[in-house]
Amino acid sequence: MSKLMVNVPLNRVEGDLEIRAEIVDGRVSEAWACGTLYRGFERILVGRAALDGLVITPRICGICTTAHLTAAARALDAIAGTAPPASAVAIRNVALMAEHIQSDLRHTFLMFAADLVNPAYAGEPLFEEAMRRYEPFRGETAIETIRETKKLVELLTIVGGQWPHSSFIVPGGLVSVSSPGDLLQCRLLLRRFRQWYQSRILGCAIERWAEVRSTADLDRWLEESEAHRNGDLGFCLRFMRATGLDQIGRGTGSFLSFGSLDLPGGTAVRAPAGGGQFVPAGFLAPGGGVSEFHEEKVTEHVACSWFQDDEEARHPMRGETRPYATGQESAKYSWAKAPRYEGSPAETGPLAEALIAGNPLFSDLVRGQGPNVLVRQLARLARPAELMPAMETWLSEAAQDPTFYKTPGEITEGEGVGLIHATRGALGHWVRIEQGTISHYQIVTPTAWNASPRDGGGAPGPIEQALAGTPVRDAANPVELGHVVRSFDPCLVCTVHALQRGRSAGRVIVGAL
Amino acid sequence: MSRTLYWLQCGSCGGDSMALLSMESPDFTELLRILNIEVLWHPSLSNGSPDHHRRLLKELLSGDRPLDILCVEGAVVRGPGGTGMYNTFDANPKKDLVSGLAKRAKYVIAVGTCASFGGIGADGEIEATGLQFLKRARGGFLGAGFTSAEGHPVMNLPGCPCHYDVVGGVLTALSLGTSLPLDEYNAPLEWYGLLVHQGCVRNEYHEYRVEERDFGEKGCLFFYRGCHGPVAYGPCNKLLWNRRSSKTRIGVPCHGCTEPDFPQPYPFFRTRAIADVPLELPNGVDRAHYLAYKAMAAAAAPERLTKRKTRV
Ligand code: SF4
Repeated sequence: MSKLMVNVPLNRVEGDLEIRAEIVDGRVSEAWACGTLYRGFERILVGRAALDGLVITPRICGICTTAHLTAAARALDAIAGTAPPASAVAIRNVALMAEHIQSDLRHTFLMFAADLVNPAYAGEPLFEEAMRRYEPFRGETAIETIRETKKLVELLTIVGGQWPHSSFIVPGGLVSVSSPGDLLQCRLLLRRFRQWYQSRILGCAIERWAEVRSTADLDRWLEESEAHRNGDLGFCLRFMRATGLDQIGRGTGSFLSFGSLDLPGGTAVRAPAGGGQFVPAGFLAPGGGVSEFHEEKVTEHVACSWFQDDEEARHPMRGETRPYATGQESAKYSWAKAPRYEGSPAETGPLAEALIAGNPLFSDLVRGQGPNVLVRQLARLARPAELMPAMETWLSEAAQDPTFYKTPGEITEGEGVGLIHATRGALGHWVRIEQGTISHYQIVTPTAWNASPRDGGGAPGPIEQALAGTPVRDAANPVELGHVVRSFDPCLVCTVHALQRGRSAGRVIVGAL
Repeated sequence: MSRTLYWLQCGSCGGDSMALLSMESPDFTELLRILNIEVLWHPSLSNGSPDHHRRLLKELLSGDRPLDILCVEGAVVRGPGGTGMYNTFDANPKKDLVSGLAKRAKYVIAVGTCASFGGIGADGEIEATGLQFLKRARGGFLGAGFTSAEGHPVMNLPGCPCHYDVVGGVLTALSLGTSLPLDEYNAPLEWYGLLVHQGCVRNEYHEYRVEERDFGEKGCLFFYRGCHGPVAYGPCNKLLWNRRSSKTRIGVPCHGCTEPDFPQPYPFFRTRAIADVPLELPNGVDRAHYLAYKAMAAAAAPERLTKRKTRV
């Protein structure tokens, strides 16, 4: 038996993540996902004015900045008891969706696909073509992705002034509404982008892709034309199948969505799964059906995270963040906390979103082969097809009604939760305001779910579980681990947690009393 | 011969890198090609294996491989207790990598407010600092006397995030040998010599003191909404974002994110004022004259501004 420990600092995840893996006879026996950066946001928020989360929290993450802004504003909406007007809801949605789409494509072609051109695949028949498309800084698709996704950022700039890090979403609605002319510009940008996505990525119209409702449909679609096979979705699919990426990275099999994209009053858009949100909330237990989501069932553990121990897992409204760095040798090994739903770890992200909404294609794919790297990435790459038609409708509806803000007045007291499904999945802000000042702020991010360390009961997080069993051909170039981890699109800057006041004592132990 | 660039992310949100992807004419990849800059490593974009990266770092740190430009994004994290263990790479504090690489690079560039001045974590227990400044104080992580291998101090490019055209402009200047005069915070005057206020489409409202008291009222944001435009130096309203807009143009007050003390310790959406007069006036104005002028201006405000029909 050959046994080997490797430490893999992973790049092309947003932020800092290191994977420690034990490899026995060429397979991962156990893995640990270590968030290696702690930025202490809560400490910065506590004591600030009620609205200041709208400026501070987008800066947690330069890639999900609008998601944090939305969650922060929703928590304040809840505290103030205001419902934003329909046009504001529509524009909030459009902004969030534009952020999802640019991120889905940038992640796939700049971060995930860079592993497909790893020298480990030099012998693959599709390798040369993959190089032509995905070589970092040079590949044709890589360069086009940079050029085209920028147009969605431009749309975000028209409605939000700047990207990343604007604060244009506020309790009660938006700071302003784009003029009809600006909204027309947004629609042009969206149409242009849609045309590129259809011709370059799908190789067909969104309407044709929407008819792909099962694994058999997918195979038929792939056979149907050169355009389907050679679009980047078809090509990635073929490459991933040829290299066995549908065989690795199973994970926990449990999926979570907090729900997102409220339908504005009077909209013509219908939610694919019914209900009042375009992306439904829900929890999917391994092998079970979708159960209704209850916010009170979210807890966070710190047993294996560098925070001071609690006897029990805590709900985020009662959770605390007291950092406690012990170095490399104790049970603690990550700056990410371990969020749990009903006590169990859960995967979140585009695949969770599709499965909880009952998307027929992805439900069938997962029924057949279980969750894996391929299906996870495919869900991400196909998500824009789901989002763009609704965005177009909302942009046109928003131009009809210029009411974008209903003042909530001064926000002085109360507790509220802002839940959304961000680009990478379930995101929540738990906020308490006392005397106009933030007295409590806890954030549970999508990456905290996916890259979660072990909990108090020793259960590994989704990425850790997905890594177990992964074959590693060359420990010096463990590209397989890269595939598995990146299929979750981790954004480690998001695991930032807060810090209570504390002094350093001894070696690297802080936060003591 | 090509110039080499290493991009290091420390305590950051990745936003400066994300902003770079918005660069136009030429875009970021074209710019690198035109200027013949070889990116040895960018954490979001490179695809070398961990071993390849470790080898590269060894060569750079020993000086065996020359490094022309070091870009640092994010604050240097020194906590807890000076150990730097809140931010590690391969189990070692990342701050050691910063000092090691900074010694070797010909030019060291701090991209964004966190790398320049400490930014978001500067008051927190992570003990964040900028490379050569901590807020307004010279020193920071590398020390006031630090100069790069070619004798330059760290060049600061603040902004949260830094505007991509500033990064592009600096890379171009370094590559083509054009010198960039710096201000007192070592930021190029070209982009940090003008106020955010300059170029804002709300200037005429400001002129006649037509002010917003609540969001969306279509006016200037200076008197009540906490806008830092007239006191913060930065190019937002000159360069614009994606050549389209800026926060102040759409009605988000400028939060002074390019300033050394960002995030300021007082509320973001409320102007600190006594009897409705802001404590901080536009840079350089005389208080008595300014107040007299504002009173007259408000009285002279034309109806097309006070009863506006257009978006701003
Ligand atoms: S909103 Fe701010 S930047 Fe614009 S004119 Fe008023 S003070 Fe100047």
